[in-house]
Amino acid sequence: MDADCEMKLRQTWNKYNLYNLFAYKKTPHIVRTHFQQKWAAKAATRGYHGEHIKERQWQHMFSRRLLSVVDMDPEYMAKHDGSEQGAGRGSGRDWKPDDPTTKPARNGGSKSALPTPYMNMTYAPMERRLDVAVFRALFASSARQARQFVVHGAVKVNGMKMKYPGYLLNPGDMFQVDPDKVMLATGRKKETSFAKQKTAKSGAALARQAKIEAAGEGEEAATEVDQASTKSGEAVAEGEALDEIAANPGDVATLKKLLARAKFIADSPSADLSAKRKKALRTVMKDVRELMKRLGKASANRADTKGNLVDDLTAALSKLELSPAEQREAEQAEYKKEAEADEQKTLARKGIPMLSDLERKILEESMAREAENPRDFSKPYATPWQPRRYMSPFVFIPRYLEVNQNICAAVYLRHPVARQGLAEVPTPFENLTNQLAFNWYLRRG
Amino acid sequence: MPPRIHSSGCPPLLLNCVPESISSSCSSSLAVRSSSRPLAWMTAQTQSPRCANNFSTTAPRGLNKVQRKMREWIKGPGQQFAEPTGEGKPNYLMGSTDRPFPINPLFKSQPVLSDGAREKIYSAVMERGMPLKAVSARYSVDMRRVAAVVRMKEVERQWEASGKPFAKPYAKAIQGMLPIQHLGPDEPAFEPINDIHVHSYTMQQVFQPAAESKHFTRVDAAKAFGEHILPADEKMRIPELIQLERDLELGIEPADANKKFLEATRESEKAFAATKEAQLQREEDRKTRVESGRFEFRFERINAGAVGHDGRARGAVGWRYGVPFNDRKRGVVKIPTKVE
Repeated sequence: MDADCEMKLRQTWNKYNLYNLFAYKKTPHIVRTHFQQKWAAKAATRGYHGEHIKERQWQHMFSRRLLSVVDMDPEYMAKHDGSEQGAGRGSGRDWKPDDPTTKPARNGGSKSALPTPYMNMTYAPMERRLDVAVFRALFASSARQARQFVVHGAVKVNGMKMKYPGYLLNPGDMFQVDPDKVMLATGRKKETSFAKQKTAKSGAALARQAKIEAAGEGEEAATEVDQASTKSGEAVAEGEALDEIAANPGDVATLKKLLARAKFIADSPSADLSAKRKKALRTVMKDVRELMKRLGKASANRADTKGNLVDDLTAALSKLELSPAEQREAEQAEYKKEAEADEQKTLARKGIPMLSDLERKILEESMAREAENPRDFSKPYATPWQPRRYMSPFVFIPRYLEVNQNICAAVYLRHPVARQGLAEVPTPFENLTNQLAFNWYLRRG
Repeated sequence: MPPRIHSSGCPPLLLNCVPESISSSCSSSLAVRSSSRPLAWMTAQTQSPRCANNFSTTAPRGLNKVQRKMREWIKGPGQQFAEPTGEGKPNYLMGSTDRPFPINPLFKSQPVLSDGAREKIYSAVMERGMPLKAVSARYSVDMRRVAAVVRMKEVERQWEASGKPFAKPYAKAIQGMLPIQHLGPDEPAFEPINDIHVHSYTMQQVFQPAAESKHFTRVDAAKAFGEHILPADEKMRIPELIQLERDLELGIEPADANKKFLEATRESEKAFAATKEAQLQREEDRKTRVESGRFEFRFERINAGAVGHDGRARGAVGWRYGVPFNDRKRGVVKIPTKVE
């Protein structure tokens, strides 16, 4: 019992909080005085609802007016004007089961038998707060983190920066969170260089062992590929087809996108670019413009040179987004990639063929996936992005919000309401606990 | 509190030094002491060569019962919650499909619109030019949600045009963890669209004597609760739906009735737009704009006397002598109440 009382539920996606949610038991209320019950209920519910907000602040927000709605059925309203409810002796005609005409008309059918859980709406005003709404829209992994995002200026309301986590959203307000912050909050942790060293040291022996094993497997794989190469005959022709694809006039669009991205980097106020990097950025932009001009003039250029240039520019641009330390890391990765490419070249010289249709398709798909979720050292989270662990049991979006995850924006449609059988305030507590908490804040008796 | 992890290795104090000191060369004084009383040390070492904390009289601080249970759960049955199901289904506790909080059955995780469903709504409004009310009725999605979807899709298009990258992997992951509806023809209604707010005046029981012959309708009931209380028919968000049902009841062909409904919603939208425009025009008429090269001055006729009994009326304009401003005072909330 005491252990249960100490078990605090919080607005966070932490795995310990998940265990608490799992192990939380309904509190037996009978053994204590009414005051004790109310106190315990208040303490437990406040631990979850706006634990980071001072009690006095919440007392000002609390409202005894609990909002609810009734779903009216247009068919019922078209057929009846309500007078049938006062028919007979004043409370509707008696229903005789053998006479279907006497069946009472009810708005909404069998659903209307359920009670409206008003008491679960106790903490509805809290859901209006900007930080809580950001958490509910799944843009932050805890209410406290959401609050930090607001304070640090990563949240906009109706297009304007809003730095107050206590801003009460009005119905129709749209809030946007910086996508990078959202990906940071909901993604896996980036492995720090220190942690990497540690794992590298401890796993060095393991890696050596694995290398020895892999060498054997590699030889086997090479022989398999050789066999496959003898089967495909029209390899060279397909290689030419690939060149044709590269020659398509989609390049201008790619260049335009590149230019836009370069401008975006240059214009972003948070990027404190050094003079050197600014210069490099200008060069890239200039090159892109020149290339676009050339493409416009002579479309009969060699396809491969064009493709290479676009690739080079993209690479140059992505480097500009990195800090010097990260650049070094990226360069190292590039060396590795080059080494791999060399290896492949030697393999190709040995007689590895060009790609088949299916292989090319798979390659294109994987490239598209890579473009969508790239490996990017400049990001503060692990890339390619993956959802953080123990996130899925917390993922739900209440109906008073409409969220667009692509742009990390959400609209606060209306205040949360209670309806028959449902209350829209996401609370982990049962009805009775909420009722006791509501009674505490009524401040009567 | 997260569980504490205790290393099982020896504390790096005296103990590491002891075997060496016994064997040869740690420090002379220790060696002397050890030679004088060698037995206890030796036995301790031989009994547990890895870790000899039997010197400490304090019991090692392990996990308590609750922490142990938590760790067992996280390492055991809790593992299934570490990763999403991967089947496009939610992964709530107790294997529930719609209850994220096990002991609160009154909160449900209700489905959200899929990306395709949002595209459907956007194209219905922006490309086919359907009125919001008609789209809402067609897909059974709240009118406010329809408007929000369109608004955010517009922002999405702007981002796309300016080359700003989307949070695509995040969006995909979230959509894979939520219950989703695609607004297909065989899916249940997405959400109730005919909700009316329950006015606090109507939450009480009223004893209203009425003649037996009186045909007491919803309109009379609303009057009984209060003069300003509207009957349910007038509070409906899409009252045209009632007319549609009436038409169907009268035996009008469903296609014709639908056409009539579409017309009615279009008309109501036009009327709403006209009133909005008239309001803006009225506001504009009160202003005089003077263009001066660099600035545009806007003059508006103001009644300086309309400041209320204490000079602090909401609509009052300008600073008034003797009435201090409270806007920078301690304890006064400075958080804006609206952003437009």
